[in-house]
Amino acid sequence: MNPAETKDIRDAFFDEVYDAAVADQRVIVLVDDQGAFALNRLREEFPERYINIGIAEQNLINVAAGLAMEGWKPVVYGINNFVSLRCCEQISVALAYPNLPVTIVASGGGLTYASDGPTHHGLHDIAVLRSLPNFTVLNPSDAELTRVCARLCLDNEGPFYVRMERGVVPALHSGVDSFESGIARLLEGNEVLLLSTGFITHVAFEAAQLLRDQGVECGLVEVFKLRLLAGDVLWKEIKDSHILVVVEEQPPIGGLRSVVGELPERFKGKIMHCCLPEEPSYIYGSRDWIRASHGLDAVSIFERVRASLLR
Amino acid sequence: MTEEVSSTMLLRIAAELRLKVLEMIAAAGKGHLGGSLSVTDILVALYPGGVLNVRSAEPAWPERDRLIYSKAHACEAFYAVLAEVGLVPAEWLSEYGRDGSKLGGHPDTSLPGVEMSGGSLGHGLGVAAGMALSAKLRGESHKVFAVLGDGECYEGSVWESATFAAHHQLSNLVAIVDRNFEITLSNTEDCNRLEPFADKWRSCGWEAIEIDGHDLQQLTRILRSARNDPRKGPIAIVAKTVKGKGVSFMEAEVGWHHRVPGGEVLERARAELGARARSLG
Repeated sequence: MNPAETKDIRDAFFDEVYDAAVADQRVIVLVDDQGAFALNRLREEFPERYINIGIAEQNLINVAAGLAMEGWKPVVYGINNFVSLRCCEQISVALAYPNLPVTIVASGGGLTYASDGPTHHGLHDIAVLRSLPNFTVLNPSDAELTRVCARLCLDNEGPFYVRMERGVVPALHSGVDSFESGIARLLEGNEVLLLSTGFITHVAFEAAQLLRDQGVECGLVEVFKLRLLAGDVLWKEIKDSHILVVVEEQPPIGGLRSVVGELPERFKGKIMHCCLPEEPSYIYGSRDWIRASHGLDAVSIFERVRASLLR
Repeated sequence: MTEEVSSTMLLRIAAELRLKVLEMIAAAGKGHLGGSLSVTDILVALYPGGVLNVRSAEPAWPERDRLIYSKAHACEAFYAVLAEVGLVPAEWLSEYGRDGSKLGGHPDTSLPGVEMSGGSLGHGLGVAAGMALSAKLRGESHKVFAVLGDGECYEGSVWESATFAAHHQLSNLVAIVDRNFEITLSNTEDCNRLEPFADKWRSCGWEAIEIDGHDLQQLTRILRSARNDPRKGPIAIVAKTVKGKGVSFMEAEVGWHHRVPGGEVLERARAELGARARSLG
């Protein structure tokens, strides 16, 4: 069994932060009253470098900026919308414009906090953060890729935003060979290519298997870097496919589909987009159930693609 | 800039800077005159008054005091004082407002002596608090100052940072509020009451001192004391000022936030500020 299969995604990220804090006195963690088990060790061993700012995200970002201006490497952690949209202007003016080395770790993305309703659904973070200069925007699907993303943040300068999932999930990646490109192929095949990002990649993987079971030559590529990614690498991965199916757990605008549209080359084949609607979902239930309500489950994606192939 | 300058000299510098502010805005056809005139004495006390421990020849000196100029729209007074102490070349002032000028409508970090690019209100105190926390964690002895406008204190983020700074006992942090009682459209107390303003800071855990923000002698003494005295937490200097200070008809009238005087009005303003500068020259 791959060790990543037994590790909580948050542990995968914060264990790297802990190691970085041990090795580098500049690493400091700031949270908005959001805890994580894997942060406890850091809090206990380096109490002066773990600060719960409280539920005050504008201050959270500005204090991180002030620390970064003095040479620190702050890692900021909180629930998705509150460390992205709530303090968007602070992120823009205080982090993005001056290109400061601050990593924002957003707990949950898309429908992670499904039953908590749209205030807790991470819907617009990627679109907004992708529009800011200097930001690298990361959206990994499993523990191994999350660990890789942690290293990217900690080993580099500049601002990073990471949509981080939670819980123990099956490993999709056993060794990502091209961290810098932000693109990782999971399944070969180009007749249909599923292009996915983040946690929904697990669903895309299932959908791809269903298509392959039907004899469709179906590939899967995960784009875990949605901003400052290697566009040339992405183009090479998608250019020979006949049908490109973009799967993402966010509304239509500003995410992975937009990344494809922003490439200098124009994809000539058919593009299908499986995503959440623009309108917020005031329906309450499990993540799987809400996803399925919007056609974002493996069977719905499979049937939509199959119907397209039959036409 | 650590040597003390005589009070008469500071009065003269303040008068000359006000005239420069007026000329910059008149030439540019834009700017924030009222707030620049109200904050001028605060900046004179800080820079030529020697409160700040900074080096003109070495703007990035690691041990310098940090100043975050959060009411960045009042940039003309800030540019004028930076030029006065030699942090930016004096000839840049005449470029203000022209195409390609280094001096924008809000100061940015491309300029020597500017710690944070400003323009969006309510950010400066939090960034200053982060810098002060950094110095405290590292045992560094420099101080961090933040200059805020009173209208800026409508922003909730100011109070997020105020409670944070008090909780973390950031005794190396000084906030100076240019309390000119005016926002763009009205008196602050008519819009959304700020009083009892100093008590708001106190209730957040700050020591707060209300002073006359145009009494240069008092300003310099209190600011120097705020910088140097050992204490347990952050200190807020509520500097009571007058928007449009130095021009009688601007002092008397709300509406000089970003209005630009021209023609006879400009001449009257120029005459008043010029007379004051000459009387001290």
